Amino acid sequence: MIEIKNVTKKYGKFLAVDNISFEIQDGEIIGLLGPNGAGKSTTMNMITGFIEPTEGTIVIDGYDMSKKPKKAKREIGYMPEGVPLYTDMTVKEFVTFMAEIKKVDKKQRKEKVQKIIEQTGLKDVEKKLTRNLSRGYKQRVSMAGALVGEPKILILDEPTVGLDPKQITEIRSLIKELGKTHTVILSSHILSEVSQICNKVIIINKGKIVAIDTPENLENKVSSQNRVYVTVEDGENKIDTVVKGMKEIAKIEQVKVNEDNTKQYMLESDKDVDLRKIVFQEFAKENITIFEMKKADTTLEDAFMKIIEGGNNDVGSH
Amino acid sequence: MWAVIKKEFKSYFTTPIGYIFIGVFLIAFSVSFYFTVLGSGNVNFEYIYYSLPTILVLAFIIPLLTMRSFAEERKSGTEQLLLTSPISITKVILGKFIAALSIVFITELLTFMYFGIICYFGMPHITTAIATLIGFLLFCMSYIAFGILASSMTENQIIAGIISIGFFIITWVLPDFNTNLSGFSFINMFYSYTQGQIDIADTVTFVTFTITCILLTMILMQRRKSVK
Repeated sequence: MIEIKNVTKKYGKFLAVDNISFEIQDGEIIGLLGPNGAGKSTTMNMITGFIEPTEGTIVIDGYDMSKKPKKAKREIGYMPEGVPLYTDMTVKEFVTFMAEIKKVDKKQRKEKVQKIIEQTGLKDVEKKLTRNLSRGYKQRVSMAGALVGEPKILILDEPTVGLDPKQITEIRSLIKELGKTHTVILSSHILSEVSQICNKVIIINKGKIVAIDTPENLENKVSSQNRVYVTVEDGENKIDTVVKGMKEIAKIEQVKVNEDNTKQYMLESDKDVDLRKIVFQEFAKENITIFEMKKADTTLEDAFMKIIEGGNNDVGSH
Repeated sequence: MWAVIKKEFKSYFTTPIGYIFIGVFLIAFSVSFYFTVLGSGNVNFEYIYYSLPTILVLAFIIPLLTMRSFAEERKSGTEQLLLTSPISITKVILGKFIAALSIVFITELLTFMYFGIICYFGMPHITTAIATLIGFLLFCMSYIAFGILASSMTENQIIAGIISIGFFIITWVLPDFNTNLSGFSFINMFYSYTQGQIDIADTVTFVTFTITCILLTMILMQRRKSVK
C-alpha cells in the first residue's frame, strides 16, 4: 500500500506538486494522467525516493521513505522516463547488475535473472549491448530492471512513449499481466491506454489532483449532456422548422453535408429524455428520412479535457 | 558496493578510458625512464616517478578516470536507477572511488617491470621504491576523490574534467607563487615519499583530503535530492 500525505514539492519558487494526498491499495493498477508539466514525473520520482518532497510524507508498505529509505525502496521497481540504461552492458549484464544493487540473494540471482529475461521476452537479445537495441527492446530491458528483486510495486513512467503500435500492444499486455501480481502505477498522456489498462485514474493538473476515479465513472460524469447525431435526407429543408416545434431540443447544429445530399445534424437536449425516440417519430411525420442516428458517446478524452479546463473544480473524492 | 566496483571497473575497459590511462602513463613513464636511467645513468626507480613527463601526463589522465563517474550517470539518467535502488549513496561513491583507484594500482604494478630492468644496470633501493609507490597511490587517491567530487557537481563531463585538471595544475604550481603555500602542494608532499620516507603528516593530509572530498560528494548528492 502506498500512502501519500500532503505532499508538496517546490523547485525554487515554482510549485511542481501542490499538497497532494492519495492512497493506493495493493493490487491496483493506477494511471497517473495529466498534460506535460503537470507534475506526474515529479510525483513518481518522490514515490521512488529519487527526490525528496519539500513537505509531506510518503509511506510505502508501512515504511516511511524519508526515514527507512532502504526498506521502502526494496518494495519498488521503477522504470524511469526515457528508459535510461547502461549502454556498455549487455542485456544480461544489465539485469544482473540491477539484481546486485537490489540485493537479490546471491544463490538465486542467476536463476531469477534468467526468469525475468524470459518473462520480458529478452531471451534472443540477452547477449547484445543495450545500446544496439531498438526502442521497444530497450523498454523491455528497462522493465526487466524494474522487475528484478521481486518488488510489490511497479512504477512505470510513460512506458509506451516512442513505441510503434505493435510494441505498444505488447507492452500493454505485459503491464496487464504484471498487474495481476503487482501494484502498478503508470503515467501517461494517452487516455485510451489508461482506460484499457488501469482500474483507477488520478488526473493531475498544475501540481494538483483534479480527479481520482475509475475510467468508467469519469466518462459518466461528463456525459451529462444528451446528444444525438442524425443523418437525414431532407430535400425541402424542413428540419429547422420541425426542430423548432420540438420543445425537447435545445440546440441544432449542422455537422456536414454528405456526397449523396444527406445532411448530418447534431441535436442536443438539456433534459434527460431519449431524444432518439422523439426525433424518429417527429421526423417520420414530416417525411424526413432518417439514414442514421446515434447517441454521442463521451470518451475519456472528453472527460479529461473537461476536467482540465474546469481548472480547480474539484471532481475528485479526496 | 561490490556490484558498483565491478561495474565501474568493467566500464573502464569497455570504454577505452582504462587502456588510455594505463597506455599514456606507461608511455610517459618510458620517456622518463629513457632520460633518467638510459640518458643520465641513474639507477633510482623513484626518479622515474618524480619527473616532469609523468606528473604532466597525470594532470590530464586522472581527470579522465573520474570525470564520467557521476556526470555521465546524471546525463543519461541512469543516476535514477542507482538512487532508487536500496543501495546507499555512500556505497555508490566508494564503489566508483575504489574502481578508479584500482586502475592506478594496476598501472603501478605494471611499472614495476622497470624496476626489474633497472636491476640489470645496478642496485636500485627497494624500500625507497616501495615508499614511492605508496606515496604515488596516496597522491593519485586525493586527485581521484576530488575528480569524483567535481563530477558530482555537473552533468557535463567536460566541465568536470576541466575543474579537475585546473585543480591539479593549481596544486602543482602553488609553491611557485609563494613559498608559504608549498605546504599545500601535493607534489611537494609526494616528493618526500620519493626520498624514501613515509611522512605521517603527509599521509594524514592525503587521507583527510580524500575523506573530505568523499564526504562533500555525499552531501552534494543528498542535497540534490531535496533541491532537484
